[in-house]
Amino acid sequence: MRPSASQSWPLVAPDWIQNGPEWLNDFGYDVYKSFIFDDRYQMYIKGLGNTLLLTLLALLIGVALGVIVSLVRVSWDKNHTEMHGPGRFALGFFNAVAKVYLTVIRGTPMVVQLMIMYFVIFASSRNKVMVAALSFGINSGAYVAEIIRGGIMSIDAGQMEAGRSLGFGYVSTMRYIILPQAFKAVLPTLANEFIVLLKETAVAGYVGLTDITYAGNIIGGNCYDYLFPLLMSALIYLVLVMFFTFLVGKLERRLRSSER
Amino acid sequence: MSDNFIIQTKDVQKHYNGGEIKALDGVNASVRRGEVVVVIGPSGSGKSTFLRCLNLLEVPTGGQILFEGTDITDKNANINLHRQKMGMVFQHFNLFPHMTILKNMTLAPMKLLNKSQSDAEAQARTLLERVGLGDRAGAYPSQLSGGQKQRIAIVRALCMDPEVMLFDEPTSALDPEMVGEVLEVMKELAREGMTMVVVTHEMGFAREMADRVIFMADGKIVEEGTPEEIFSAPKQPRTRDFLAKVL
Repeated sequence: MRPSASQSWPLVAPDWIQNGPEWLNDFGYDVYKSFIFDDRYQMYIKGLGNTLLLTLLALLIGVALGVIVSLVRVSWDKNHTEMHGPGRFALGFFNAVAKVYLTVIRGTPMVVQLMIMYFVIFASSRNKVMVAALSFGINSGAYVAEIIRGGIMSIDAGQMEAGRSLGFGYVSTMRYIILPQAFKAVLPTLANEFIVLLKETAVAGYVGLTDITYAGNIIGGNCYDYLFPLLMSALIYLVLVMFFTFLVGKLERRLRSSER
Repeated sequence: MSDNFIIQTKDVQKHYNGGEIKALDGVNASVRRGEVVVVIGPSGSGKSTFLRCLNLLEVPTGGQILFEGTDITDKNANINLHRQKMGMVFQHFNLFPHMTILKNMTLAPMKLLNKSQSDAEAQARTLLERVGLGDRAGAYPSQLSGGQKQRIAIVRALCMDPEVMLFDEPTSALDPEMVGEVLEVMKELAREGMTMVVVTHEMGFAREMADRVIFMADGKIVEEGTPEEIFSAPKQPRTRDFLAKVL
């Protein structure tokens, strides 16, 4: 039998804490059992790594999906009255798919989508990080699509006309002229979406993925005391969010001071 | 034959709301190579719509537009290829704000005409020198005045070596003291023999530079002729009425 935290505490605690005031001894024991005993801190580190990896992968998938979906939506809305034949049919089909995607993803809870992905669609896969990243990415893509669509529509119609008048096709004008400006316009919003996504990944524990929240939850259960473990989880999120918010602020100032 | 006509329009219609609003109601016009055609008329007369139909930025709801003998309103016509030969200058400049002046000018020649970067930049710098903006190649559009922006917009279109230049009220968005510098560039272009179609309220430019003036009202061409014919001896009461108000 391995010793429990309460059994090993008297053996490892420095004398000045054990012989100090009672509150100090209690505090020291709480810290010990929440973070040090059994190398429990490693679980937070693993959780932090997973949360960051998950968020980053989900963002990449989300932006890729978002660009495609927003382009389909914008192209259809602006051009379908002037289109004919199979091109119109194909774009109309993809537009319908995009609309269903947006409605379903934005109309159902993230947790349910995640559980359907993990327990139903990818029931045979045990790669929790990849399945969760895909699930969060697909979810985020719906919101990113609407952000980018807003960005594209905020660009003056004269830009498209100028591109077309030089001889660029619709796609080339989008690529060289409209999208770079739209991206610049929505970059701070996209960065905020990253921060929102970071906090949303806290439900990854539903499929047993060790993220920051899950680490706090499990350790709290192990030591029959949730206060310090959950406070630690909250603190890690807070520090991350404050750090990224600081970066977004810097980015916004940079963009504002640059040309245009 | 239509050999010396670079643009011909045949009964061009532009209707909205299923014919309720007729922005263009049967416009027949033609532009010869090397000719400067100035289109004037009251606002809402359809003159801008007419100009924008020439390179299909507005798609006509009826009629034909022949560019170098090809019907560009035909579904199978490659409009992007034809637009390369039709430079356009807009009222609000429409420079690309995320690119330097040089990049604004070299983007299309490099991507569409497969010019090398050095060739495209050399051409752009020569054109910039000609309009007196040789030192602004590295600037961004937001750093320029309206008059400078419009001169850049003109040379950006010229970088594609167009056969014809379309001007859509190029001086209407400018502060009065900047109108002259833009008109000067346009006059120089006209003297060099560029084919130009200009929609403008600058009657002075029309009188001085136009080979032919077209007066439009209510989506139709009311009268056309030399500047002398239009400005000194207009035949139509509608033309006389308009000129009395603007001159």
